Amino acid sequence: MPAEILLKSLILLPCGVFLLISTLWLLHDHLSENATARFHGWTHALMVAITIALGWELWRSSEHVIHADFGEWFRVGDYHFRLAFILDRLSYPFVVLVTVLTSLVGSFSVRYLHRDPGFQRFFLLLRLFTVGSLVVFTADSLDSLVAGWELVGITSVLLIGFFQYRREPVRNALRVFATYRIADLNILIAVFLAHHQFHGSAWNELFTGSWPNSVPVPTGSVAGAIALLLVLAACGKSAQGPFLGWLARAMEGPTPSSAIFYGAISVHAGAYLLLRVEPLIRASAAATTVLIGVGLITAVVSTLIHRTSPDAKTSLAYACQTQLGIIFMEIGFGFTNLALIHAVGHAVVRTMQFLRTPSMLSDYHRVHAASGGNLGPTGGQYESILPQPIQIALYRIAFGRAFYDVVVDRFLIAGAKAVSRSLSWFEPNWLQTPHETAAPSASAPVSDRPARH
Amino acid sequence: METLSFPTLTVGLIAWIAGIVLSLRLPDQKQRRGVAAASALLSAVCALTTGLQVQRAHGMHLSDPWLGFLGADVKGALILTLLSAITAGLAILAPRRDCGGRALAGLLLIGASAQIAYCASNLRWFAIGWVLSVLPVCLSFFGGGLNLRPVTGFITVSTALGVGAMFALGSSPGAGVFALVLVAVAFRKGLFPVHSWLISAFERGPLLATGLLFNTHFGAALLTRPEVSPLFEKYPTALDLVSYSALFTALVTSIRCFTERTPRRLIALICLSQASFILAGLVTSNEAGVTGAWVHWLVVVTASTGLIAILRILEVRVMDVVKPEGQLGLAVRAPRLATGFLVCSLALIGLPGTLGYCAEDLLFHGALSSHPFLGVVLPLATAFNAINLFRLYSLLFLGVLPKRVIDVQDALNRERWPLVACILILVASGIAPGRIITAMSPASVTHHSGTSTPLSHP
Repeated sequence: MPAEILLKSLILLPCGVFLLISTLWLLHDHLSENATARFHGWTHALMVAITIALGWELWRSSEHVIHADFGEWFRVGDYHFRLAFILDRLSYPFVVLVTVLTSLVGSFSVRYLHRDPGFQRFFLLLRLFTVGSLVVFTADSLDSLVAGWELVGITSVLLIGFFQYRREPVRNALRVFATYRIADLNILIAVFLAHHQFHGSAWNELFTGSWPNSVPVPTGSVAGAIALLLVLAACGKSAQGPFLGWLARAMEGPTPSSAIFYGAISVHAGAYLLLRVEPLIRASAAATTVLIGVGLITAVVSTLIHRTSPDAKTSLAYACQTQLGIIFMEIGFGFTNLALIHAVGHAVVRTMQFLRTPSMLSDYHRVHAASGGNLGPTGGQYESILPQPIQIALYRIAFGRAFYDVVVDRFLIAGAKAVSRSLSWFEPNWLQTPHETAAPSASAPVSDRPARH
Repeated sequence: METLSFPTLTVGLIAWIAGIVLSLRLPDQKQRRGVAAASALLSAVCALTTGLQVQRAHGMHLSDPWLGFLGADVKGALILTLLSAITAGLAILAPRRDCGGRALAGLLLIGASAQIAYCASNLRWFAIGWVLSVLPVCLSFFGGGLNLRPVTGFITVSTALGVGAMFALGSSPGAGVFALVLVAVAFRKGLFPVHSWLISAFERGPLLATGLLFNTHFGAALLTRPEVSPLFEKYPTALDLVSYSALFTALVTSIRCFTERTPRRLIALICLSQASFILAGLVTSNEAGVTGAWVHWLVVVTASTGLIAILRILEVRVMDVVKPEGQLGLAVRAPRLATGFLVCSLALIGLPGTLGYCAEDLLFHGALSSHPFLGVVLPLATAFNAINLFRLYSLLFLGVLPKRVIDVQDALNRERWPLVACILILVASGIAPGRIITAMSPASVTHHSGTSTPLSHP
């Protein structure tokens, strides 16, 4: 089978399954848990088989690149949106991660979410996420990447608020959604700038040569601005720098979704974007400096917070941020192959760690018993070599989670609300509530018939 | 002038009138609902047939053979089809308390006014459509009484301004008259700083009817008339004025949402903000921006109607929805309504896979090409709207279900089908947007060149 068809079917398969199951659900036809599990198993087995076949085709091809073109999605005059996909040495490891890890996490979730009222919803969102992440990692242009990027974002948020009958997950989902939207502005503006200045955003329009030896075509200040905006967008997805605080909030979702999103795929989408546009970043001193600086600061701050976090998942979230900070620095220094290996290895290990967190105490007791009760403390406490006042200061910073939430609440959210309140000046009182006693027409019948429903 | 092979527009108009008369006369509610829905659906079919004929005639403007003052091009026919279908949908899913004879007749009258305005061959008929659209609210077809008096006052003023501007335009199109047109548009569309009446109408007026009235977008339609378009070439500063006015409205209303907790006000502000993009896109003067604006027009009409309908359905089921004190957690009891609300919200803010994504993609590209500042601020307003829509979604559907809310029905059959149709329109046209974008594109090219306008004769 031609490689192009394989790549197309890899993207279309989860998309079709998602549409089929959601239509069934809308028409009141529920799938049982067993049927869902079997359906998931077969779909993902097929996807893994296609991925292996694609790997073989990629290895056989002379240029180590596979293209799949769905043609123009739409066109208006000179502007067109081409739906094209690419599989190369950078995207293939991430595609393998997506197909293998979603299969594993799906199988894990069949038992983990057994009899949960949101069982079907979880698998629907998992499939939508699979579509989104495959689009991100195989996109042939920034335009297509944004489409997948947003799908990953929205599924991520809906899974954070998965336990919708509790207040905290809902509140945290809203906060994460807001962070995503603000961060995603950067990638949107970068895409528009790329179109505006360079008349396209496809990888072959932005770079010549194949990854990792590609060379950026656009140069100058606008190219630098685009690189900087993409760095900021990646920061949003990977919870780095100015978007530091959301990953811990995202831990409210079910553990399998935490594993796949925040241990493996979603957070590494930022690293993937940076690896893809690394030549563009390398050409801009400002973008490189910001990237290294953000990575360094996040790595240091996150590792401190990780050590003081009271619960396992939050601790893992900050540990994850630390590693992502290091990956960002590696990309900033130009060690792209190292960053790629680091990202893939980290994703796999972290997924395993997240999936083991619910049984961590049981694991500990088992190891403790196996060692005959002589289990020594783990890890070297390097911070103990620092003077005590510095240790205390660092502990305070870490315990307050770098005061990130306080700063955001007091200055950004409160500021936005103050501006919002001041704008109510343009809505005169006499127009708003002249008759406080008169309820809106929701409670009053508005027809000439008595109110009943 | 070329004419349609069959008087579909006349048939459509007769269907509206028959629907209005029968709604007022029939005593049985079920019959009234059926007749209203059937007449709106028939009009939708007529508009669709007109559109297909126009398309076969390579997008040429075709007049009705019987009523010569009615005619349509592809865009007008497409928008009219959507508005008629949406009126039918609203008649089908309207809660019983909103299905009085006068209320249904009012909905149909707004639909009929849209047909007259969008198919009007001259400004006089456009003005008649404009006046007819506000009559049901001014004549209290939907109740409201004292509560709606300030809103009615605003509507009357805006209509007087609009009609005055249109008549003046017919006699002496100058700077003063053009300024009057712009003021009328600002009032009708609810542009900042005269946006508050629309929020108030949403808050205290009949929700479904206000939503339909809002979605007629006569203000934007007036700017695309052949009588008005040349004035933009004569006074190019007006383009910047309208563009920045739309921009401010989009941004101000999106920021204003942050301190709102009432669902009706939130919906009003978000819809107002998103609808301002249409105007911003229309005045970009480039192909991508103008086409994006037209496609966004369709998205706003469909998605906002879905949101408004779901909100109204919830209001009659749960009193707390009117002024919620906390999260209502209704997704547990009404998952399909929650899904519908989510999909419409996401389409409105441009989720990939929905038509909203294509619309905003084109709109932002166009805006960035003509006004870089506009191209940066519009995505910011969209981001704020997205946050506020998710806030509204979580307020209504997520969280803990109040103990007093024991039994809430999910979407009933008559509610489910219009909502599913709404979702299908947004998703199917988002997956394969080519035909719609092509239909909205060619006439837009000549929009500001003065040789053709989208809603009238070439």
